[in-house]
Amino acid sequence: MPDIGGDPLFVLEFGDILHYYTPYTITLFLLALIFTGLAIASRPERQIDIAFGGDAYYAKETTVSEMRFRRFMAIACGLATLGAMGSGDLFNFTLFVSLVGIANIGIVAAVKNRHVLDAAYEYGIVAMVATLPLFGGAALVVATTGTLAIPALAAGGFAVPLVAKAFLALGVIGEGMAPFYAAKAEMFRAPGAPYVIMCSLSSLLIFLRVVEIVITI
Amino acid sequence: MIEYLVFAAAFGLLLLGLHRKVIARVQLRPGPPVWQEILHALKFSFKSTWVPKTASATLYVGVVLIGIGIWSAALFVVLAGESILILFAIYMLHKIVEHGFGLSSGSPYGKFGGVRSVISAASEIPLFVTIAAIYFFTDSLLLRDIVAYQAVHGPLLLIAPPAAIAMYIVILSKLPYGPFSIVESKELVSGYKTEHFGVWRAGISVIDGTKTFVLLFAFVAIFIGAMPFWAALVIMTIVLVSLSFVCAVTPMLSPFDSVTVQGIVTLLMVGYAAVLWWVMP
Repeated sequence: MPDIGGDPLFVLEFGDILHYYTPYTITLFLLALIFTGLAIASRPERQIDIAFGGDAYYAKETTVSEMRFRRFMAIACGLATLGAMGSGDLFNFTLFVSLVGIANIGIVAAVKNRHVLDAAYEYGIVAMVATLPLFGGAALVVATTGTLAIPALAAGGFAVPLVAKAFLALGVIGEGMAPFYAAKAEMFRAPGAPYVIMCSLSSLLIFLRVVEIVITI
Repeated sequence: MIEYLVFAAAFGLLLLGLHRKVIARVQLRPGPPVWQEILHALKFSFKSTWVPKTASATLYVGVVLIGIGIWSAALFVVLAGESILILFAIYMLHKIVEHGFGLSSGSPYGKFGGVRSVISAASEIPLFVTIAAIYFFTDSLLLRDIVAYQAVHGPLLLIAPPAAIAMYIVILSKLPYGPFSIVESKELVSGYKTEHFGVWRAGISVIDGTKTFVLLFAFVAIFIGAMPFWAALVIMTIVLVSLSFVCAVTPMLSPFDSVTVQGIVTLLMVGYAAVLWWVMP
């Protein structure tokens, strides 16, 4: 069992597939849970914007339909992140990570604004392309070691190729690019809280988890 | 338990006050008294408190509590000698808290501060390379194991100085009035903190104090090793004063320059980690 995140606290077995939590992953899991709760409970901000050519400013409103869709996507993103935090199976981890990427596209793309949609489209391309190294990394691991179980790989005795680890990290970085697109100038036009925060949080958490996995296996 | 938290927050605020004082003296100004940050925290605790009409109210309040929660957890991780991976995860999650502060209010100043906190995520990458470098030597990321390793082999500060320098820069990037303090620079009023006032701002002061204490205490434990508590406090103060000198003589970088400098540090650290990976048995 990986111990760089502390001694394992809890192991949940689904046949030969494991979910496990260390102090490290439980910290990440709880943070994802809290922010998912906040995404459910919070109403969106009313972003203040300046009208060009004068001193006027106004507060933007988010329509109910847009709010519902973005909230749904934020919750989906939170659930996928929760899964990725505890997964002890490399393939399940990559699946959860790609789900995070898809949900992040949805959070950004729900805003009916040309500039925001452009940013979402660009991020979507990156996220889709990133699935190649992501699943490729997992495939290389199973091809060379015969297992995808992280505890088994962490126990030693397997020579996981460095390129597989690099592919996994690269795939997660690609999926986790959302905050950088969310930080683009175009995105200032869209009210962000609390949904864009789920993009940032999920991206950061999957990055933190893959660091643990790559060091461990 | 609570006495540890109160001490850490108060000592951290005192260090931040000292930080302002040193910067002022280097710049030939009198500067505020060293206990000014503690006074600020107390003052804000009794000022009127409300939530802006444009804010996402639950998030606006919740993010303050999350900030206090994560740094309290970080303090106990350090005191218990648990995995530094948790500590650095919390450090990175602080970015989300800053982002949450900025985005929740609806204010463009807060939003710019929050977005800058996202683009300054470049400052966190050297941290992970630092962790990797430490792991090459100690074969463990548990703080108690790292301290035990140093008791046998000597301080990591001497064994892996590039890792210590990288973490020093990481702490520098979290200090106010420094070259990388783009998230709360003056052209954004107070950046992500702009719209949080009253008790919420007092909460931010507690977060800042605890964060400063935890990061400096972790630096001492990771790179120097075990020592009496009073000695750790003295060394933390010395490290902070050195950081204050850097802040005093360095102009604040523009956001893109800040990211570029941190990116260069990351590349250097990746090179160092690669060399370690190559030469270590």
